[in-house]
Amino acid sequence: MPPRALLRAPRGFSAPAFLAYLAVILLVALVPQLSHKPLILHMWIMVFLAIAQGSAWNVVGGYAGQYSVGHAAYFGIGGYITMLLLEQHQVAPWYGIGLAVAGSLILSVIIGSITFRLRGPYFVLASIAMAEIIRLAALHFRDFTRGAEGILLSGIPPLTTPWFTVKFLGKVPFFYATLGLAVIVVSANWLVQHSKLGYTFQAIREDQDAAHSLGINPTLHKNLALMISAAFTASAGGLFALYVRFIDPNIAFGIDVSVQMVLICIIGGIGTILGPVVGSVVLVLLSETLRNPKWLVQAGVMSDESPTVNFIEAHLSNAHVLFYGVLVVVVVLFAPEGFLGLLRGATARLRKRLAARRGPPSRPAAAA
Amino acid sequence: MNVFFQSLLSGVLVGGVYALIGIGLTIIFGVMRVINFAHGDLLMLGMYVTWGLFTLFNIDPYLSLLITAPVLFLWGALLQKVFINRVLDALPQNQILLTIGLGLVMSNAVMLGFTSDYRILTTSYSSSSFRLFGLSVSEPLLFSFLVTVAITGALFWFLQTTDTGQAIRATAQDRDAAQLMGINVKRMSVLAFGLGTALAGIAGALLAPTYYIFPQVGGPFTLKAFVVVVLGGMGSVVGATLGGILIGVTESLSAVYVASGLKELVVYVLFLLILLFRPSGLLGKSRT
Repeated sequence: MPPRALLRAPRGFSAPAFLAYLAVILLVALVPQLSHKPLILHMWIMVFLAIAQGSAWNVVGGYAGQYSVGHAAYFGIGGYITMLLLEQHQVAPWYGIGLAVAGSLILSVIIGSITFRLRGPYFVLASIAMAEIIRLAALHFRDFTRGAEGILLSGIPPLTTPWFTVKFLGKVPFFYATLGLAVIVVSANWLVQHSKLGYTFQAIREDQDAAHSLGINPTLHKNLALMISAAFTASAGGLFALYVRFIDPNIAFGIDVSVQMVLICIIGGIGTILGPVVGSVVLVLLSETLRNPKWLVQAGVMSDESPTVNFIEAHLSNAHVLFYGVLVVVVVLFAPEGFLGLLRGATARLRKRLAARRGPPSRPAAAA
Repeated sequence: MNVFFQSLLSGVLVGGVYALIGIGLTIIFGVMRVINFAHGDLLMLGMYVTWGLFTLFNIDPYLSLLITAPVLFLWGALLQKVFINRVLDALPQNQILLTIGLGLVMSNAVMLGFTSDYRILTTSYSSSSFRLFGLSVSEPLLFSFLVTVAITGALFWFLQTTDTGQAIRATAQDRDAAQLMGINVKRMSVLAFGLGTALAGIAGALLAPTYYIFPQVGGPFTLKAFVVVVLGGMGSVVGATLGGILIGVTESLSAVYVASGLKELVVYVLFLLILLFRPSGLLGKSRT
């Protein structure tokens, strides 16, 4: 291969966009240096985890068009493998998450080979049933999973490398770990959108039979998309379990975990790189604000005595799922392309209006 | 052997109610090709209406069906007109998401209004039973089964003989052809969704005396309703009736012979096997 081909930028690459992406990551990475307030860092961590989950789902749901509502299976298996290895076999979590990813890949091949024989609503139902089977099994086989009691984490060993040592105390290490995962998954989405492999996913989404007739093997490529998606979902599950230090079958495998991953993409904008990011910010801000409005106080937005904070704490602490539901209904009916689609429509309209105000371009001055 | 017949009997009795849930779902799917993921939440609403009528006015749950069913019918018709009607031509994924969203709104609105405490509706006969041929028969389950049989029979009669029933079946068979024959398919859709919702509500009312009532109770029923409907064949009312009984029996037999914690797991495994090897269901003709 000639060196020129190696140096050439990949398809769809734009230097300004890439630099902006790097700048945003660097700026976000500075946040813990500026503020150590735990609730603020908690918000960021939850947003990063949501981005990782939403973007992971986006690979198979958004790009390959396979609406799995059973991704809790991979999230939960990631969490359980990481926690069981750490608690019962003292395997450090950075190896544990690696093994969790391996486990999720095996699981995704099994689930994929069953569910991808079905299409449309039947696929959705089968994916839900698979996740439910795993949840019920995790509840029942107590000797192995401790059942509904769950697994409580006693501690995470420090990570020692020749250069530095990380002690997993407080929120800062998790901030960087989850940020790293979110960046990896979002970058993977970019690669999926612009690579040949990703093109096959999108072809299957647009018309599976046409893609098949062009020589794309739909079953193989749907399974590949699911494997990519499952690996990232399991990593998010592992980090989530370590961060909250507890896991039980309903937290890990519950159907609301699966639904939330779909909602992140729908609300943000499905099948786009930024959609899951936008959706995560919206959903996490909403749910965390309603669950624990004190972060607004720590952020300095509101005072401790603010009536709004007290009202939310008293009346709306359980209402976040209600707002999710309302958001989904509104988005499906009025903005099927999500917040990102709304934003794009608004900027397009603004541009048109500005162009109209400037009047028809390049009219000769002599005419006036 | 006695254990076998005992669990077979209770399976059939519970299965009757599952059949009712499944019939509602299958009518909605048949007429609109919309998979209603809020079906269990509609059932939950039926439970709460029944519970409310019982605790406030002391109306017997079986008598309150006369109120619950029309209330839920109107609610379903409203949901169809305001929301579902707008996505009839949308992607199936969007229809699914819309009904998931509506389900979330309903269950969480109830949670805000009534907290997530478990409610119990205790009637004088809630835990009474009698013996028949050496088997013990739970009275509320038997009542529920008899009501189910009566309602299913009435529904068959309605769909087979009345003009409106035939119009609903025609719409389910071929929407465009029905429209060309002068059937108001929009009205049939509203009717079908109302009917399906009322059936879910009736099932909720029938379950209320023997079940815990809480806002999230619907979820498992939604999934079970799908199993029932897929088993019988999407859109087939007879199939859903048989499917309901079969699922009830499967559940209660696997609770005895496998493990009580795994009865639902067995049902889902059966569901996947049916989807894979007999996707048109036991009585269905085609998958589209």
